[in-house]
Amino acid sequence: MKILKTAKLETVFDRLADALELYVPMVRGPQSGFYSWKTYDEDYDDLMLDILNVYQPPKDIILPQTEKLYDFKQDGTEINLEEANEKVEKKAIFGVRACDVRSFDYLDKVFLTKGYVDEAYKARRDSVTIIANACYNPGTNCFCDSMGVSPTEIESADVTLREYGPEGYVWEVNSPKGEEITKLIADLLEDDEVQLPELKPFIRRINYEGVPEKLKDMFDHPMWDRASATCENCGICTYLCPTCYCFDIQVKSWGDEGYRFRCWDSCMYREYSEMAGGNNPRELAKERFRNRFLHKLQFFNERYGTPLCTGCGRCIVVCPSGINIVNIIQDIKEAETGA
Amino acid sequence: MIEMTKQIRATASKLLQDGQVDVFIAWEKGDLEYQTKPFFANSVDDVDKIIFDEYSIHNTANSLLRFRDSKEKIGIVAKGCDSRGIVRLLEDNQISRDRLYIVGVGCPGLKDPLQAMLYNSGFSKKTVTDELADKCLDCIQPNAVIYDEFIGEQQEPRAGENRFSKVTELENMSADERYSFFEDVFSNCIRCYACRQVCVACNCRTCIFEETKPQWVGRETSISDNMMYHLVRSSHMAGRCIECGECERVCPVNIPLMLINKKLIQDMSDLYGPYDAGMDYVEGRKPPLSVYQENDPDDFI
Repeated sequence: MKILKTAKLETVFDRLADALELYVPMVRGPQSGFYSWKTYDEDYDDLMLDILNVYQPPKDIILPQTEKLYDFKQDGTEINLEEANEKVEKKAIFGVRACDVRSFDYLDKVFLTKGYVDEAYKARRDSVTIIANACYNPGTNCFCDSMGVSPTEIESADVTLREYGPEGYVWEVNSPKGEEITKLIADLLEDDEVQLPELKPFIRRINYEGVPEKLKDMFDHPMWDRASATCENCGICTYLCPTCYCFDIQVKSWGDEGYRFRCWDSCMYREYSEMAGGNNPRELAKERFRNRFLHKLQFFNERYGTPLCTGCGRCIVVCPSGINIVNIIQDIKEAETGA
Repeated sequence: MIEMTKQIRATASKLLQDGQVDVFIAWEKGDLEYQTKPFFANSVDDVDKIIFDEYSIHNTANSLLRFRDSKEKIGIVAKGCDSRGIVRLLEDNQISRDRLYIVGVGCPGLKDPLQAMLYNSGFSKKTVTDELADKCLDCIQPNAVIYDEFIGEQQEPRAGENRFSKVTELENMSADERYSFFEDVFSNCIRCYACRQVCVACNCRTCIFEETKPQWVGRETSISDNMMYHLVRSSHMAGRCIECGECERVCPVNIPLMLINKKLIQDMSDLYGPYDAGMDYVEGRKPPLSVYQENDPDDFI
């Protein structure tokens, strides 16, 4: 077994950051997320490898919240367009949990399959090496295994870290990209045989089986009134969700010039479904709420064969109204339908 | 608080039973001991779920906006801050007094379930503390200011002379330091609009930030669009913020929104006051910036 000792972490980060853009989970001031190791400030930032996860998922590394597409400028009757041509550097994300790794698989389905490849997304996605961190100790609101995600066997990881104790991690290479990055730090790894911890039981569990099929007949079910009654219709759950990918195309212009950009959008916002002319097919808060759960639990499954939820539990932790997707799945399962 | 919960349930039960109200707004427990959440009881059968405990921190008044276009009669539990929120809605003509049965309570200061969720979920290195929520430490009115029935004991305000100390710190910074401070905190904003959604003063039917023709504020998460969003929102709060602290409590990236609101509260008080929004309800009265008077100070224009 290749072993990475905790004491050597910072040396490994320095070495990797010399070769590529390295993102590491940190607490930064009042928030936590994956930030560039080059911006690490030991007086201000705190490494977050020894806890469950960071608040902000790594989604924005491959799908930035705001992304310029092209500049435009009018010159007489001509319009000149200039593509943004973002310079994509090689990246590695260190310490990603299984739920967040799986979210990349789901984003890949959206942006790379079914006959359309989003080139800007693909360039960023291809540039990323994922160094995952297996979970042996699920948190209070984790339910990844219920959504078909194994917290320890992480398919799309290039390297999987397995923390065997405070002293270090097993460094397990899973792909050619993983081999590539291992070469950069091979001399910092040690050979040893260690005992891996046992996976602790999950507190939250739910059985997703049958849910997408049952939802087909539940569009008008009264449970949506009850479940959505206290939803504030803010966008916290969508923006902190590792899998929510909806975006809008917007423009900013001044005088004869400007630029077009893509930015995250949230189905919780009224503007999201508003059409030219002012009609809104999802005018009511309940309709927007229902759409979010139907998309995650039914529509995405119909199109891609999997729910759009990896069980990371962030939405449960952050919802101001205490809305809980596990309870909603339970309500769906228990709901009486005409069928 | 167990006794208060019993009394609230008894009132809710009676009101729903007699048809005096159609819905009763309070709180219920989630599935974790520190998770209390907003709850609407629609029938007597729901009443047993109602709770008022140390985590009943959400401002109930905001929920009234969901009913502004309907005719239901509404029972509502109101702490000091919630009741000031009700006054906000009454002054803004968002709901009429005769549709409400207000169960006022004296609030001993509460804890924040969102913080407890965060600290207990493995998303933070901090662990659960027994401290009162920040918003409760600066409370100037723990007791309902408008009610049909009052439950519990009158409580003492918790805000001391430090109520505006952070504003003073900010004022003592140089302009450059202040700019860099705001640049720092607003650059974190993810534009989830939770601050707006939980705000009782944010009761516009169409928010300026949703308008597209023209689009007053861009949708980029850039420092300029983020600052524009917060500047516009906070200036709409002047004289209208009832200091419930919900915006800052729910912010997922911890932007110190109450610092801005407190600065405006202080300015409003200095210019037009002494004034604190929603401290009592006088029919027909409007907040200072909603009216024009010839003797208004205008030397700042």
